[in-house]
Amino acid sequence: MQGTLFSTENLCFNNKIQYDDITIPKGEITFISGESGMGKSTLLKLFNGVLTPSRGRILYEGRDIIELDTITLRKEISLVSQEVFLFDSTIKDNFKQFYEYRDQTPPTDDQIRKFLTLCSISFPLDKDCTTMSGGERQRVYIAIFLSLLPNAIMLDEPTSALDDKNSDIVMGNIIMFCKKNNISVIVVSHDKVLADRYAENHLEIGKSVV
Amino acid sequence: MWFKVKGAVQLNILEFSLIYLLLIIVLVIMRKSKIDQTKLLLIASIRMTVQLVLAGFILTYIFENPHPLFILALLMAMILFSIRRVLSKNKNINRGFKWAVSLSITISGIFVLAFFVLVVVGETFFNPQYTIPLAGMIIGNAMTGITLGLKTFTDNLKTGRHKIDTLLNLGVTPKKILIPYVNNALETALMPTINSMLGMGIIFLPGMMTGQILSGTLPTTAIMYQIAIMVAICTSVCLTVFCSLNFGYRTLYNKRNQIMISRL
Repeated sequence: MQGTLFSTENLCFNNKIQYDDITIPKGEITFISGESGMGKSTLLKLFNGVLTPSRGRILYEGRDIIELDTITLRKEISLVSQEVFLFDSTIKDNFKQFYEYRDQTPPTDDQIRKFLTLCSISFPLDKDCTTMSGGERQRVYIAIFLSLLPNAIMLDEPTSALDDKNSDIVMGNIIMFCKKNNISVIVVSHDKVLADRYAENHLEIGKSVV
Repeated sequence: MWFKVKGAVQLNILEFSLIYLLLIIVLVIMRKSKIDQTKLLLIASIRMTVQLVLAGFILTYIFENPHPLFILALLMAMILFSIRRVLSKNKNINRGFKWAVSLSITISGIFVLAFFVLVVVGETFFNPQYTIPLAGMIIGNAMTGITLGLKTFTDNLKTGRHKIDTLLNLGVTPKKILIPYVNNALETALMPTINSMLGMGIIFLPGMMTGQILSGTLPTTAIMYQIAIMVAICTSVCLTVFCSLNFGYRTLYNKRNQIMISRL
């Protein structure tokens, strides 16, 4: 273990969701599961500072995130949300636009292809994203986030639009890539099979004893 | 020439009332076309009449007693009324945003009006003959512009939620995320004014120019006033919407770079 990525102390959101204290190790694959409405997605949003806890603390690599610049934090900890957003244009143009928003030089065609392959997308780069299926769009979306090489990537139901076979392939590829590049992975997923196969840590939210 | 430009014919009340007869045509057509708005047409006609008669009395009084205080009061009433109209159509925006809109309407309106009256016409600011009608046109159009601008801005933000969330999650600053929405709303708000400038003189003769010609002003003078007022309107719409949205969008996020669309 390389230390702790996130730990929480007495964390509470909106005075409604109370979390048990959680520790998420760095450089590992952590799966979070739990029933709907238990605050799994909210937890990820608390981690990247899109939401603020009503009580308690979150430590990122030992530092209270309330003291950190949220923009830097979000660049280091990418949150891939359930709701996919892509610009109404080609795959290549999507990469370009997202990179421009981040003030970064867009990746080369070869680099883009590498990340698309990782997510099992084999379309040409000028393929229009508006004509793709939900599952395909979700994978392009993940590929863009991965290509930005964050310290950690948080995937909220990353395979919700994929069939079992594709889920397994994509998840396997993403995890292999992240392991190789020392990117910590946090996955919120309902998929027990996936969790059993890939999780190095498994947190269950909402059911543990308070 | 069988006629020459002279002051408008004074209408007497009886002859004037005949104009209402034309409304019968509208009523008949509406009934035939099953447009269930006859009541609205009647209310609108009556309201228009009452409001304008009242305005006529007030203006007559002010023109006979041109005290700066009266003009200021009327100007303030115009501004407050237009702010109320804009805010009532955008009830859900937060307090800070409402302040941004109110101050922008007031400051941009007065600035453009003052420039027109003091610099272009070369009259004193408290000459009711210029300040009052020009203020009405400048502030009224700014009101329409900002209503459209705000609606576009808030609608687009609401439909753009996933985009905004995604960009936030990627570590893009709220400013960078929101500015395109501000610019887009400004463009939308400006288009009607610019389009009416394009058609002006060919497709229609604008209201102010028509009015001046009717009252006996030389068409060449009327044209200059019309051009000036169009430029003034365009500027006041642009300034009002630009300032409202540029100060307003900053109220939508906090120091933690969290964007609160729910505050719209």
